[in-house]
Amino acid sequence: MSSREFTVSDEYHYNHRSAWRWVGSHIWRYPFLPVFFLITTAAMAGSQSLAAVLVGRAFDTVVAGASVNQVAIAAATVVLAYLAYSLSDIINTIVVRILAQRVERDARDEVYLSLLGKSQTFHGRQRVGEVMARVTNDVQQTSQIVSPGFNFIIESGLSLVVPLIAIVTLDRDLLVIPVIFLVVLAATLWRYNNQLRPVAGALRARFGTMNAGLTEAVAGIEVVKGFAQEHAEERRFSQNARAYRDSFVRQGRVEARSLPLLVYGLAIGLAFGHALLLFIDGRVTVGQVITYMALLNNLRMPMRFLLNVFSIIQQSIASARRVLTLITTETNLDENASGIAQPIIGDIVFDQVDFGYGSEAASPNEPIDPNLILQNIAFHARPGETVAIVGQTGAGKTSLTRLVTRTFDTDAGQVLIDGVNVRDWSLDSLRSQVATIEQDIVLFSRSIAENIAFGARGLATPEQIEEAARQAQAHEFIMSFPDGYATVVGERGVTLSGGQRQRIAIARAFLADPRILIVDDSTSAIDSNTEDQIQRAMRRILTGRTTLLITHRLAQIMRADRILVLQHGQVVAQGSHDELLEASALYRQIFVPDERSALSSVPHAG
Amino acid sequence: MHLTAGLGAEAYDRTYSDSQLIRRSAIYFRPHMRTVAIVAFVVVLISLVSTITPLLIARGIDSVEGNRNIQLLLGLAGMITMLGVLNWAFNLVRVQLSAEAVGDVVLKLREDAFQALMRHDLSFYDKYASGRIVSRVTSDTQDFATVITLTVDLLSQLVLLVVISVVMLAVNLQLALITLTVGPVVVLVAMGFRRVARRAMQQAQRVQATLNATIYETISGIAVAKNFRQEAALYSDFRETNSLAYQVQLKRLIVFGSIHPIMHGISGIAVAVVIFSGGSLVLNKSVTVGDWYLFVQSLAIFLNPVIMVASFWGQFQQGLAASERVFALIDAEPNVVQTANEHVGSLRGQITFDQIMFRYSEQAEQSSATTELSAPTSADSAPWVLSDFSLDIPAGQTLAIVGHTGAGKSSLIKLIMRFYAFQGGRLLIDGQDIRTLDLAEYRRQLGLVPQAPFLFSGSVIDNIRYGRPDATDEEVEAAARQLGDGSWVDSLPEGLHSDVGERGARLSFGQRQLVALVRVLLQNPAILLLDEATASIDPLTEAQIQAGLAAVLRGRTSVVVAHRLSTVRTADRIIVLRNGQIIEEGDHETLLARNGHYAELYTTYFRHQALNYRPWEEAEQLTPVGEV
Repeated sequence: MSSREFTVSDEYHYNHRSAWRWVGSHIWRYPFLPVFFLITTAAMAGSQSLAAVLVGRAFDTVVAGASVNQVAIAAATVVLAYLAYSLSDIINTIVVRILAQRVERDARDEVYLSLLGKSQTFHGRQRVGEVMARVTNDVQQTSQIVSPGFNFIIESGLSLVVPLIAIVTLDRDLLVIPVIFLVVLAATLWRYNNQLRPVAGALRARFGTMNAGLTEAVAGIEVVKGFAQEHAEERRFSQNARAYRDSFVRQGRVEARSLPLLVYGLAIGLAFGHALLLFIDGRVTVGQVITYMALLNNLRMPMRFLLNVFSIIQQSIASARRVLTLITTETNLDENASGIAQPIIGDIVFDQVDFGYGSEAASPNEPIDPNLILQNIAFHARPGETVAIVGQTGAGKTSLTRLVTRTFDTDAGQVLIDGVNVRDWSLDSLRSQVATIEQDIVLFSRSIAENIAFGARGLATPEQIEEAARQAQAHEFIMSFPDGYATVVGERGVTLSGGQRQRIAIARAFLADPRILIVDDSTSAIDSNTEDQIQRAMRRILTGRTTLLITHRLAQIMRADRILVLQHGQVVAQGSHDELLEASALYRQIFVPDERSALSSVPHAG
Repeated sequence: MHLTAGLGAEAYDRTYSDSQLIRRSAIYFRPHMRTVAIVAFVVVLISLVSTITPLLIARGIDSVEGNRNIQLLLGLAGMITMLGVLNWAFNLVRVQLSAEAVGDVVLKLREDAFQALMRHDLSFYDKYASGRIVSRVTSDTQDFATVITLTVDLLSQLVLLVVISVVMLAVNLQLALITLTVGPVVVLVAMGFRRVARRAMQQAQRVQATLNATIYETISGIAVAKNFRQEAALYSDFRETNSLAYQVQLKRLIVFGSIHPIMHGISGIAVAVVIFSGGSLVLNKSVTVGDWYLFVQSLAIFLNPVIMVASFWGQFQQGLAASERVFALIDAEPNVVQTANEHVGSLRGQITFDQIMFRYSEQAEQSSATTELSAPTSADSAPWVLSDFSLDIPAGQTLAIVGHTGAGKSSLIKLIMRFYAFQGGRLLIDGQDIRTLDLAEYRRQLGLVPQAPFLFSGSVIDNIRYGRPDATDEEVEAAARQLGDGSWVDSLPEGLHSDVGERGARLSFGQRQLVALVRVLLQNPAILLLDEATASIDPLTEAQIQAGLAAVLRGRTSVVVAHRLSTVRTADRIIVLRNGQIIEEGDHETLLARNGHYAELYTTYFRHQALNYRPWEEAEQLTPVGEV
């Protein structure tokens, strides 16, 4: 992991060679816990068998004709054994859950830290939902390897083996049937799991299909009703629900036929017969027969646990693998800390640039698209110029701007800033002088002041923040909140409108005071007053900076120094508004002077 | 006793008495009476087998004490083995038949619930979050199945418990009474535990919701944080949240994990009590060793159902509430009710609103639909959206509706679609009362383009065909090429066969709108209803949509909620709505010249779409700003 953008000093290093080793290294981070877990599990199995032995002894005591006192003592020892079991069970439960939760916490921390260390390239290409699923669900599922996974396996394993040791103390020959039982049990369990896995998988998949279809029908109810397709939807749903029902019944059939229960039933009968034979031979006492039967009875629960635990572990290790893949995905950008660090003037040149996702290091889940996103892009933006980028969604507008901040790197050609290839700039110096106002503006659940201060990397005086807000036409609405700049926004606070968020982002950019500005202004304000404010703020922030502007607003496009018309990743036309009206049919299509031009005569009020 | 307190109630929820619930569930099981009877019979058999096994062992112990008859003993062992096989076989029948019955019942319940969903008008979908509606059909029905399975399990355990109790009482009254006292003790402990567990659960749920939000935010914020190099600040936020999550979850897990050890502790004490009292009785010769063994052994069987009730009570309760939610969904009455089903021939497209009264409320227009069972609705205080509203749209006219948010623009379209029921007046289509029409036939002649175009997952061509599944590929292609110059089709990665992704996510908003337009075009509707998107679309697509729209609007009655300057400019007639009233009407030029309400709306919503829009120039003149 040579190329990480963010590290902390006290980071713990885990084994990344395989998913099993990775989970193992998480568990062994706290060696005390697994050891303690093993000890308490052994204590549980031991005390459980001990209780069985003591119950048998109590019987023998009575059969031998003891006093009431002796019976009382025997009963007391039984209580002690049970309480010992109970106590070790409770400690065991706490220990294993602490361990599982720590693994979950640490794994989440590790993923998060690795995400912070990854380049913008990586984040630019990941869907937030996808990453969220890994960090929440998959991490949680991973912890199930510890509990109930290993917890059940070790507990069941010991609960199957320890009684055997207890049986040896009664009579070695009594081992025959339990040992045969365990061998057969293992075989039937194996078979059962193999039968159940595909059936359970199909059941889950069909539930997913049914749920997805239903969700879609409900979300699109207006269309369903508008086109009078209710009956078709009913048929479709019915089909999915029926498929689920069939899988459900099939799973029931497999569960019903599970052999372990049969094997157990046979074992009990045979074991009883065997014990009685030994009793008749005088080799064991009544109490020992009872102990023997009780020990066999104790095998029932672990057997049940083992029925389900393997599929849980399989799912969990698959989750662990997904998480690990996310952690170890390398990105090919680095900080280039020794690169050029100097004030930027703002001259941008794209020199025959090609860019495609195909060349990137494999992303965990996305199929690699071999097609180029951008091809042969060439233009020159002089310091202070505004370049408007026009094109349909998917034409490559956003990708183009991201080559400037090195969120992505070019495949061919080069992007030059002030005549220097962006790859030769120090990433820190480069990004600190280029600000981006995104289309979806992310605000954090903090105060408005803190959100604006982000622009100055958190170092700004209240006066500076207010000044930036004023410049961005945001001061007025901020002061309309009772808490003013201290108003908390986001999930836990005030919800801001799109126009307000945009102005906060502009204020941020004012604080950052970049030489190069990238604006994705393709959201729309539906009322003209908000639009007035945003456009005034926008005009101010553009002044004196080289700007790449993605916008849908015709008035903005017309006013740009240079316009790039992008189609399928290629610049099909560039120049000023007037030049393009002459030269480009595509451009004319946008500004068809049919009736629109008539509007120019309408004066605007207010 | 009511088992359904406070679990995400909705207005259409009703409370069913327990007997109503049972009767209701029974209806679904009636077709499977035979299966249910067999399962019940097998359950009893399983209980008997489970009781006989320890009984035989007890007899075995007693008999080996007296005479050591090998044949008798081996016979006993053989019988126990056979009972083990029988137990397995009965269980096989039980599990398999239950799965079949439960599978069928859940299927029927789901189909009923889905049909109920399709019956509801849009007022229902406005009111309830779609996620919750979906979960009623999928998860709640599943929970209903869980209740059934748990009930069967529990009943079989209870049958066993009764059989065992009877046997114990028959064997030795004194020892039986001592053993039976364990029951109440365990129940009390379980109830106490439940209270503690519920509190821990509620706490965890509350905290978890906040935690998820924070984790979501810190993760979606990474890209921004990197822009401003604020990783450290974000990481410390995350770390704090993460360790809080750890503590909360751990607490909940430990509380829930402690029930089994506690129950085992109690059963240990119970075993000891039975050993002592039973042992003393054996010494008195009033109980045999075998019987004594039987009591010790029975204790486990006896405790099982109690432990089960204690640990599954929550699930059981949840399942009952879930089935109540499903039944409430099925029983809720739709508001839109047709009084007749008259055949709809081909429409000319004249629409007449005649003194329409309309508001969004849960009450149906003719109160005929309400039954005594329906939930008591709170006093209907929703304001009128349309009051005494009259409007005549002649066939073939393009009508643009403008007005502020909440003026009732979209409501007009929704009423024409008959998505909602109105409360008074008449709505006539070609002179016929809309309430008397065959809704499916009527809607097939309407073309609706909603504000946010919804696509189903699948290909573009599937989506275009949605309203006319029988349309050929050629017809679809022809319709698609009719929009603009048709070049938008070529810009799709695989043309009309491109996958649109979940809800059209792989297409741009503009492309989705084009697909929605073609979908309508293929229907060749008599009436077109268009709620224009407020979202901005890139200028190239926008140009294509405008060109396409002209083709679609031509020659049919069109009602457009207008957000685009170009639309209002080309409409035959514009009406200005305020609070459900028409306050101005005419065409663009006339209205603008009048300098009244329309002119005001123009400066509010349409001015910034004009090509000469330059607010900054004006601002700079008014308040000059220094160098930045």
